[in-house]
Amino acid sequence: MIKSRRTRIGDYVIAFICLVIVLTCLLPMLHVLARSLSASEALIRNQVTLWPKGFNFTAYRLVLSDAKYTWSLLWTGILTVIYTAVAMVMTILCAYPLTYEKLKGRRFINAMILFTMYFNAGTIPMYLLLKDLGLLNRPAVLVIPNALSVFNVIIMRSFFYTIPTSLRESAEIDGAGPVTVLLRIYLPLSKPVLATLSLFYAVARWNGYSDALMFMNDRTYHPIQLLLYNILRSVTAIDVATLEGFRTPGLNETLQAATVMFATVPILLVYPWLQRYFIAGATLGAVRE
Amino acid sequence: MVLSSVKARRAVNYLRSYWTLYLMLLLPIAYFVIFRYIPMTYILIAFKKYSLFQSVWEMPWADNYGFEYFIRAFSSRDFLNAVRNTVMLNVLDLLIGFPAPIIFALLLNELPFRRFKRFTQSVTYMPHFLSWIIIAGLALQVFAPSTGLVNVVLRRLGFDPIPFLNHPTWWVFTYVFLGVWRNLGWNTIIYLAALTGVNPELYEAAEIDGANRWQKIRYVTLPGIQPTIVTLLILNLGQILSSDFDRPYALTNALVYDVSNVIATYVYTYGVRGLQFSLTTAIGLFQSVVCVIFLFTANALAKRYGERGIW
Amino acid sequence: MARGRLGWLAALWLVAALVLGPVWTSWAAIPDDPDFDPVARRFRTTREITVEVYDRSNPGGSRPEDNFYTDFIKEGMLRDHNVRVTFVPVPRWTEVEVLNNLLAAGDAPDIAVTYSYPTIQTYANMGGVIDLAPYLEKYKDVLPNLWGLLGEDNLFWNRDPGTGRVWAIEALLFQNKRINTFVREDWLKKLGLPEPTTLEEFESMLRAFRDNAELLLGPDADKMIPYSTSFDVGWRNEHLLLSFVPESITDKEMFVYGFDDRRFLFPNYKEGVRKLNQWYNEGLIWRDFPLYGPGDTTEDNLMRQGFVGAFMHNWDYPYRNGEDSIQVGLQRIVGPEAAFIAVEPFNNDAGIYRKYLSPPIDRKIFFPITNDEPLASLLYLDWISKFENRRFLQIGEEGITHEVLPDGTIRALAATGDKIMNSPQNIDYTLTINGLDLGDPELTARSIALNYPGVDSRYVERAYHITSNEARYTKNFQVGEVKAEEGMQTVLRDKRDLLLQRAIVARPEEFDRVWDAGFADYLRSGGQAIIDERLQKYEQYYGE
Repeated sequence: MIKSRRTRIGDYVIAFICLVIVLTCLLPMLHVLARSLSASEALIRNQVTLWPKGFNFTAYRLVLSDAKYTWSLLWTGILTVIYTAVAMVMTILCAYPLTYEKLKGRRFINAMILFTMYFNAGTIPMYLLLKDLGLLNRPAVLVIPNALSVFNVIIMRSFFYTIPTSLRESAEIDGAGPVTVLLRIYLPLSKPVLATLSLFYAVARWNGYSDALMFMNDRTYHPIQLLLYNILRSVTAIDVATLEGFRTPGLNETLQAATVMFATVPILLVYPWLQRYFIAGATLGAVRE
Repeated sequence: MVLSSVKARRAVNYLRSYWTLYLMLLLPIAYFVIFRYIPMTYILIAFKKYSLFQSVWEMPWADNYGFEYFIRAFSSRDFLNAVRNTVMLNVLDLLIGFPAPIIFALLLNELPFRRFKRFTQSVTYMPHFLSWIIIAGLALQVFAPSTGLVNVVLRRLGFDPIPFLNHPTWWVFTYVFLGVWRNLGWNTIIYLAALTGVNPELYEAAEIDGANRWQKIRYVTLPGIQPTIVTLLILNLGQILSSDFDRPYALTNALVYDVSNVIATYVYTYGVRGLQFSLTTAIGLFQSVVCVIFLFTANALAKRYGERGIW
Repeated sequence: MARGRLGWLAALWLVAALVLGPVWTSWAAIPDDPDFDPVARRFRTTREITVEVYDRSNPGGSRPEDNFYTDFIKEGMLRDHNVRVTFVPVPRWTEVEVLNNLLAAGDAPDIAVTYSYPTIQTYANMGGVIDLAPYLEKYKDVLPNLWGLLGEDNLFWNRDPGTGRVWAIEALLFQNKRINTFVREDWLKKLGLPEPTTLEEFESMLRAFRDNAELLLGPDADKMIPYSTSFDVGWRNEHLLLSFVPESITDKEMFVYGFDDRRFLFPNYKEGVRKLNQWYNEGLIWRDFPLYGPGDTTEDNLMRQGFVGAFMHNWDYPYRNGEDSIQVGLQRIVGPEAAFIAVEPFNNDAGIYRKYLSPPIDRKIFFPITNDEPLASLLYLDWISKFENRRFLQIGEEGITHEVLPDGTIRALAATGDKIMNSPQNIDYTLTINGLDLGDPELTARSIALNYPGVDSRYVERAYHITSNEARYTKNFQVGEVKAEEGMQTVLRDKRDLLLQRAIVARPEEFDRVWDAGFADYLRSGGQAIIDERLQKYEQYYGE
């Protein structure tokens, strides 16, 4: 396709804007990365901008050489995969039937689900419930209680709506049941949304730690972010220091920066792999009903 | 006689085709009932005198027909101030932070440089993974009045330093800006996914009709992702009174307290730290009710304009 | 005949009950435990208790519920009292929330610890705490170490005068050290200034720092910070601010106005803040101090880089943490002559360098209502209060966690592995005491001074002595529960900090307006109610 000159200029203007935005996002990350690799003295003097000063792998070495942390990294990875799979299955099971206009009770179920997004009673009742269910301090407690996000269900359902019902109807005429329609038609056409929601769930699980903090006493199953959170708190808990008259011998701020890397890098590795699902035209066009 | 057997047959037919759907819904509904609705009875403590050692039904009712804690919250100047700030900050976030990812997604969609486009996508969602504590630290390094990068440059150029973080009005601007910056790339993901659903044939048709770039966007792209935009808008409007804790808590300081005090920080100080569970729940209930009202309204408005609502 | 005697006996009981009242009935309410041998202080059948221990999750730390020291305690308890101890780890940072969960679920440990008494009062009001008074009285003879260490003072610190109930006992703050004022020794030398001994001298010293910035810092002159402080104004300026309080302040006033830990309600405090406001507007105080919250290391780094001339902080703040300490950092970056020394410049209207210290209380220990073994739990507290046991917990094994110098001084060594101490001097295990106690005060003082690797001990010794010189303590007046204080701690603390910061950065002509407005808000938000109730209760129990 030959582009007009105006379009070409427009392309470059857009590219320039994107570049500016990229820089505002990239530079801080590079700065944090540089901090995580710098000697503490350079950090004290505030000399680090974009490049590490006094190359220092202590923070990483500390985390990666301690079996506690490497195990936690591995465990969090496994947990994330399991959790994402469970959550995606649940989300599909929830969103798909709700796309059938004729389903009786659909409005009621929709309202019932939506309601839960707004009314939430806090940690203590959840704790008591989990205790009664026997889930406390067992690995399943990191998977089941948060297995469904209403927000994600709504997103998925919206995407399913954009798939023309004519496809479903013609399949039904051929004798396909709802399950077959789901597996043969809807899912293959929903790759972008499946990729997106998988990413959302995975990131939430990888970075989440508050449920482990409250409900998981067994340190073997602590996700990596919880371990890092504890390190950070033990280094920076000044109010505690004032009360107790001491500060827990902690690490310097290199570690603070390193913890950010542990949050970001794994997702950075995963995202490009998911990006190939975002190809234009992977779904058929949206036909407004 | 004839009527009821017709009805019966219709019912049987209905069930025969739809039973798998109900089966599929079984697990999710069980989940909601167990993990959301059962704990929800606890919301009653908003009307009761809380005790850690009694069940919800055993606790005595609060004074003033159970509305004691609501009255207490609403007669607190700090609380009203917090509500005002929460609404103000959320509205600003919406006005600026809602269109931003859409525009960015459209821009990315227009980029012909495929590798640069991928690179941009991957980089721009990185800030989303920074916790607000880290961002606050970075913000101080960049925006601090005497030592912040921006102000050092400004001073060297002969301008006065700008109180990004220590003056209420500027602080609000910085607060919103940081929120947009953090979430821009991440929120674009949904729109990018939605954009893949736009039929490429429509673009070709528009091309043939002689449409330029902006016309294509206006008549093909935007309508294509309209359902997504509307859905997200409704959901966002339904969060108008909700309050994030980490963000204002990390960015606040004594000089901007009047605008940085939001419901979440109020609840944390008065409710959580003071072990005032009933108060905390009462405020949460108030927030929920208001949010649901907004949700209903937004949804109804959307339907009025021909959009498909959330339910 | 028999009936007459029974009647007489009944009358005797009635009189006894009426006369001896609550004490008698509470004593009588605790049945003797036949399984317990009071002479040997052992149970015949093994009892089980659970004890809360903080989990700090510090890197390189051991499991707090299962390590060398817990083994030591468990073996000792089993051997000496036939009580099996299990430790329940609770994350230090979310301590109250996790404790709430445990209490709600009925899983609370038998012995629980917290720093906040109002929290315990709240639990008690919900009916979730055991009254310790009758047990402490009844079993006094079998708890010699506990009574010996804490005494009636700390054990009954929180007794309610009306009901006689004690919801929590107070651990002993053995090393009661609080704040110190530090200045740059090398800068004083360079400018030929003597150590300041009055407010005026301190002030002119700060001005001298400011005016000689180029001499002192060379190219970094624009980074000069004569005096540094932080958002926690009350803590970080305590010596100065409290020097404005009249010496004649009565114990009653100290009680009524002393519920705020920073004592900002004490008379004439406002004038101390005015002085800070004046300094701020003269450019003597770090301009950006309100922007940095707790945990931010910016200020510490400015000190390490050598830009700060003076500050007030915890009594040993610049010397803590060895390699990471401010003093070591300072010497590395500026030079070996650079050092912060403790000085004593702020005397009050009577010329005394008065230090208002905390009362000798620390953590509060309480038994949740789920505790079925109060006697066994008290024996645990007694066991860890025994001198030999707590000494071992505090210094550990010779050669591993400490070494003994020729003159008997104990120097701490950093251990790794299972014998590492997760908290300094194992404070998490020595629940009843905070602070090193080696028996002999001089020996203890010298040993403490050695616990700062990288820092010359003479600095620490000097700081150690100055910080508690001319100490005055708030007397403990027992008035029972002050209802107005319930749930207000954090709220009022935040308002206080807000007021203080705003007052300092205000323009001088605005100072009174800002102060009065903030102060009125503080009182209106619950401060006045607390003052009124404290006053009323004091007069009720102690007269005018």
